[in-house]
Amino acid sequence: MGIGLLLVAGGAVAGLFGSLLGLGGGILIVPLLTLGFGRPLREAVAVSLVCVIATSSAAAGAYLRSRLANLRLGMVLVLFTTIGALVGGIVAFLLPERVLTALFAILLGYVAFTMIRRRDPADADGPAVLADGSQPARATTRLERATSALAGPDYVVRRLVPASVASLGAGVLSALLGVGGGAINVPTMHLIMGTSLRVAAATSNLMIGVTAVASAIIYFLRGAVDPYIAGPTVVGVFVGASIGSRISGRVDVRILRALFVLVLVWTAIQMARRAVGL
Amino acid sequence: MTAGGADRIEVRIARVLTGGAVVSVVLLGVGVALMVASGIDPGATTFPTFDPGRLVGDLVALRPEGFLYAGIIVVVATPIARVLGELVGFSLRGERAMAAVAVAILVVIGLSVVVVAVVEG
Repeated sequence: MGIGLLLVAGGAVAGLFGSLLGLGGGILIVPLLTLGFGRPLREAVAVSLVCVIATSSAAAGAYLRSRLANLRLGMVLVLFTTIGALVGGIVAFLLPERVLTALFAILLGYVAFTMIRRRDPADADGPAVLADGSQPARATTRLERATSALAGPDYVVRRLVPASVASLGAGVLSALLGVGGGAINVPTMHLIMGTSLRVAAATSNLMIGVTAVASAIIYFLRGAVDPYIAGPTVVGVFVGASIGSRISGRVDVRILRALFVLVLVWTAIQMARRAVGL
Repeated sequence: MTAGGADRIEVRIARVLTGGAVVSVVLLGVGVALMVASGIDPGATTFPTFDPGRLVGDLVALRPEGFLYAGIIVVVATPIARVLGELVGFSLRGERAMAAVAVAILVVIGLSVVVVAVVEG
């Protein structure tokens, strides 16, 4: 009985930190369930995907109402992330758990590194400066003109080919490790496709729910989702993320971020030890 | 395409997403409360496999697994409902390219069910 409430509390902490720091819950939930509760990695990934979908649905609704997320751009890229997630969902059951654990340790290290160098989306409202100096809202190449029907009134889908490849990678990563894929989605939209960082972050949130569904179905139908673990964790994450979104304006995120980098590094080391059997 | 029309699609999709999130968390919350009341210890207790035929009976009998599985299904179904909403919305607006993208996404999601059916035999 106590474990259920501990899972709610652990999920709430993960949701709170994730919301305050702009991270998906997956990066926190998988280590919580594997290192904290001793669950197998594949089961933790399955539960994490359910959490990612729930929090994405709640947040994406708000982003759409505020017109921050670009629905059309999100849909175009989701097509590629779902294909990646489908492939990742198949591969996840073929790879040894140690390999997945090692990949997760690398991901934690990467996220810790990017958090040290991170810019706050709120500080970057304007459109990205593209390398060729062109305007993000104006089609210049034949492919951009051909795909103009896939864009909103104020944006042209830019550099679709490299962005699709990156999105496929984001989908595979999401399915293998139970994360949203924002670590790839946001730079793809901001640096490759020329959206502002705020729009990229909001649109990524819109994308990760649908992306995670493709692989979550595979995990669910193959019996990897334990409802007794998933239920309390999702409730906790939802409550924590809701509190985080309400208090985010009153919290000094810089100190929180510095502490969190230490937690990520420690967790990466623990996951790496687990991967090599120490 | 008018900006107002586009806004309507986005507002409707936002409603689907928020509504799905709330319903799923309520179902899961009830499931967790029943689980705690029943003294079920997560991890120590072998979880029941999902059986669609038992779902309604479990809900009526107030069994925790019924609410937990129903909540998980609503979580997973919400983004699918969103893509269906995009398909209908863009089709009604005559935006064939976006409607085709929505169909393609649904096909990929459908393939995940096919993959499991093939793998599980």
